[in-house]
Amino acid sequence: MIATGDFACHEEAWLALPWLANGRLSQTERDKIEPHVRQCSACKEELAFQRLICDSLTAPDRVTYAPGPSFRKLMDRIDGTAPRPQKTGERSKVPASPGRAPNRGKVSPWRPPGLAWAAASFALVIGFVGVLSTVYRSSELLYTTHTDTARATPNILHIAFDRSLTIGEAEEALRSTGARIVEGPDSTGVIGIRPVASGAGDATSAGDRREMRVLSARLRADPRVRWVEPILGGDSPGERRAPLSRGQ
Amino acid sequence: MKGTHHNDSPSPAEPNYRTGSSVAREVELIARIAEGDRKAFEELYGLYHRRLARFLTRLTKRYDVAEEVINDTFYIVWRKAGAFRGDSQPSTWILGIAYRKARNAFRSSSRILALENPDAPLPPLTSDESLRTEELRDWLVHALVQLPVEQRLAVELCYELGYSCEEISTIMGCPVNTVKTRLFHARAKLQKLLPALGGATPADERDRKGSREKGKS
Repeated sequence: MIATGDFACHEEAWLALPWLANGRLSQTERDKIEPHVRQCSACKEELAFQRLICDSLTAPDRVTYAPGPSFRKLMDRIDGTAPRPQKTGERSKVPASPGRAPNRGKVSPWRPPGLAWAAASFALVIGFVGVLSTVYRSSELLYTTHTDTARATPNILHIAFDRSLTIGEAEEALRSTGARIVEGPDSTGVIGIRPVASGAGDATSAGDRREMRVLSARLRADPRVRWVEPILGGDSPGERRAPLSRGQ
Repeated sequence: MKGTHHNDSPSPAEPNYRTGSSVAREVELIARIAEGDRKAFEELYGLYHRRLARFLTRLTKRYDVAEEVINDTFYIVWRKAGAFRGDSQPSTWILGIAYRKARNAFRSSSRILALENPDAPLPPLTSDESLRTEELRDWLVHALVQLPVEQRLAVELCYELGYSCEEISTIMGCPVNTVKTRLFHARAKLQKLLPALGGATPADERDRKGSREKGKS
């Protein structure tokens, strides 16, 4: 049985053990409880357990956290270039001018509300004009051919493969779709091709045009082909189509 | 988080924040931050980032949440540096802000708790001594998750970050006795989980229980 004085000492020591383990107990407190801990098996065992926890939690980490990326995010937030994360139920506490030096208890200078309204109205008008202009331009035919048709060989398909494709893979892709190279590739990687089945001259017959359309469709279905553009001879506006990029 | 490395930025060595010189340095940095000195802010951020990232990632198990709490903390440091009067140590002041932010993050977000499964069995420890520390730490992380948030934070502040009882009381904004009580309950719960961890024999468990009863009484 523990005597009353011992009991009080044991209880005090027991509560102080975490700080005896982490080394933050003052010398006075240590002088008070260490004699008890030395002779109390329960406290000794508990202290060993506490030290085990300390050692485990302070052991070198397997992960290092460099502050650079996080700091840049924070500075973006302070400079107001990134939206402040919105949390549920949280009212905005962002200062009127977040990029300024820290507020040292000064009251923000008063600004006339009329100025804010004028700025907001101006921004609204500019935005509206921008939207109108975009809508107008969208209604126009924006597509213009990537190739100078005046200088290009007529009645061929111009295509471009994904840049990651090797020459061998490109040749294999063309062979498998029934195409042959008739010009290029040029400095931008554009190749002029025709169906293998078409004649050596210009593909002007209806059959040749059909072959071109079939070849064009096959190539557009190939994920490795980034872009296909038919270059047609003569006036055949109905045949001209916008080139297809991947994903279209 | 294991194996995550972000090494594209210089990371100042973590100081021994208990020395007088490092405290004086941090006080000076805070004074410069109050004047809008971004270099000083970056230096202070670097001094605390690793410490807080480790502490918070262990609590949340998610670096993105930890990073959010750190940046919320330092956003306050940037804005309120002028209000720091040196009544407490800089680390106590900063950890106090981080503690409140972390607690709010826990309370407002069920996402963290949803990740945890308190009923998941603890893995047994290996007998290999070289792996034991690593495994013990994993086990402790697992066990800490099962503690209430306030107790968990108290454990981390005491055992990992090495704060005194008075400093923890300042950081947590509660009386010293509350800190002691929180740690007492946390320790009791961790002790309960110990047999499952160490593969202790029933006799060991009985002895341990007896010791703990003595401590409680």
